[in-house]
Amino acid sequence: MSGAGAAVEVDGLSKSFGSVLALDGASLRVGSGEIYGLLGPNGAGKTTLIRSLVGLVTGDRGSVEVLGRRLPDRSALAEIGYMPQAPALYADLTVEENLAFFAAIHDLEGGRARPRIAEALQLVDLAGRRRSVVATLSGGMRQRLSLACALVHRPRLLLLDEPTVGVDPQLRAELWRRFSEMSEQGVTILVSSHVMDEAERCGRLGLLRFGRLLAEGTADELRRRAGVERLEDAFLALSEGER
Amino acid sequence: MSLRRSAAVARRILQQFRHDRRTLVLLFVAPLVILGLFYFLIRGGSGVPGVDVVDLDQGPLGSVLTTHLQASTQIEVSTTSLAQARSDLAADRVAAYVVLPTDLTASASGGGVVAPEVHLEGTQPGLTQPVLAALDQSEAGLLGSLGAQGGAHLPAIRPSVTYLHGGAGLDTLDYFGGAFVGLVVFFLVFVVTIIAFLRERSQGTLERLMASPLRRADIVAGYMAGFMVVAALQAVEVALFTLYALHVHDQGNVALVVLMTLLLALVAVNLGIFLSMFATTEFQAVQFIPLAIVPQVLLSGIVFPVSTEPGWLQAVSNVLPLTYGVDGLRDVMLEGLGLTSGAVLLDLGVVAAFAAALVVAATATLRRRTG
Repeated sequence: MSGAGAAVEVDGLSKSFGSVLALDGASLRVGSGEIYGLLGPNGAGKTTLIRSLVGLVTGDRGSVEVLGRRLPDRSALAEIGYMPQAPALYADLTVEENLAFFAAIHDLEGGRARPRIAEALQLVDLAGRRRSVVATLSGGMRQRLSLACALVHRPRLLLLDEPTVGVDPQLRAELWRRFSEMSEQGVTILVSSHVMDEAERCGRLGLLRFGRLLAEGTADELRRRAGVERLEDAFLALSEGER
Repeated sequence: MSLRRSAAVARRILQQFRHDRRTLVLLFVAPLVILGLFYFLIRGGSGVPGVDVVDLDQGPLGSVLTTHLQASTQIEVSTTSLAQARSDLAADRVAAYVVLPTDLTASASGGGVVAPEVHLEGTQPGLTQPVLAALDQSEAGLLGSLGAQGGAHLPAIRPSVTYLHGGAGLDTLDYFGGAFVGLVVFFLVFVVTIIAFLRERSQGTLERLMASPLRRADIVAGYMAGFMVVAALQAVEVALFTLYALHVHDQGNVALVVLMTLLLALVAVNLGIFLSMFATTEFQAVQFIPLAIVPQVLLSGIVFPVSTEPGWLQAVSNVLPLTYGVDGLRDVMLEGLGLTSGAVLLDLGVVAAFAAALVVAATATLRRRTG
């Protein structure tokens, strides 16, 4: 995962909101086609770091490079799929209308959009509800639709902020299978989570705490370094050690 | 019913007020602003309607009547020539001019009919009524002084009233109808846009749009286009209903009425986007109505003519878009002016310029919110 093919390159990024320091010199490098899991407790800076990759947050210090382009650069955004933490959807539109809108703002319209919309619906298992108004969907369904909206335009980089909250175990397993397939096709996936069985499926993991990356490596490496059996214990040990 | 539980609810409501300073400010400041405006509009006005008096009377009574008119507190009288008076009225510098005919004294002394000519501008009832009232009082005053002199036969005074625009055949709705067409569309489009854009912010989709290839200008332009489709249908519907179902007087081009209304709607859309930045909940958005809309309506000249406001309030009125929209609609509907009129072009141009400035402001606020 080294070499020129870095999809995300963050170097010494700091950002404070008033007196709260959300990022404190965070550095992160995600290789092309990698599935990278960003772990850490609430308030560790995961969301701020992900938002900075789509230009929603501008750092006070440090640099961000995405798909080879140094931000701010809107041209990178066409190839990114961003799924925010709370499902951001138009509650008064149908499932299909939401997808068609997000396809259209990525210049996918009419005949070219239809197969992509069908594919995205299939992926999140919402094909049967495609004419339902979003306001009538359950929380888990909205979460899935939000994911579908993030990948309908087949982005090269997928940024997922806690994508499987409220998704049942079967569907979660199915989604992760699809993430692996996408990664094999060269899509880079950066996913934040605090669910440990998801962390096991990531190629590499980064532990974010106090706005900094405290530890990084595969699940096995992290367990070995902490000298424990369970990944959860490894994270507790590693973050305590740094304190 | 439990008093203690009700008290808990009441306490919670007061706590919520304490956390929502803006609502408190609104509750305690907005009424003072609005009532204060009423005070200045009704009592503080330096401006009473101006009236030119042209005294052509060869006898003494003309100047007696002029003195009575000058004594009236409801109008401000200046004496001048007929030509000057005509041009003052045409240029809206006075609300009316009164011509006292050459034979005024002659007819009066014979106990005949005295007929001063009253030429009213006619488009603003708020200006017309004081003029007619002042004239009534002055006539009574004249008769009173004639009676005191012991004149045997008192003359009958029958002023002949003519209107430059409109006239006695118009009722209140005719005067207000034009302004109301603009106001209704302006107000509803504003409310709908500010709520819609606020939902875009609060449901998180705006953030999603900002993380997409869409540019801020694309978003503002898209909002404008979408809302203008609805606003256009609404403007046409409201204008046609007002003119053909309510038979409100219109001397001008219907298309121009619709165009003016559409420009006002354009201002309202962008004002809505712009102000939505300063609200975080739909409740706060609705609070902009008493703060941003009510004063604008009071100052726009719909009810209280701008020319009768105190000078500093006129300055405020003259930087509000609705003032120009209302003036333009009145020029078209009551005076029958068209695109060849400088006044109408000025009104259209100013409203269009406000719309353009608010497009820029609305686009800029999108940038600031996502720093």
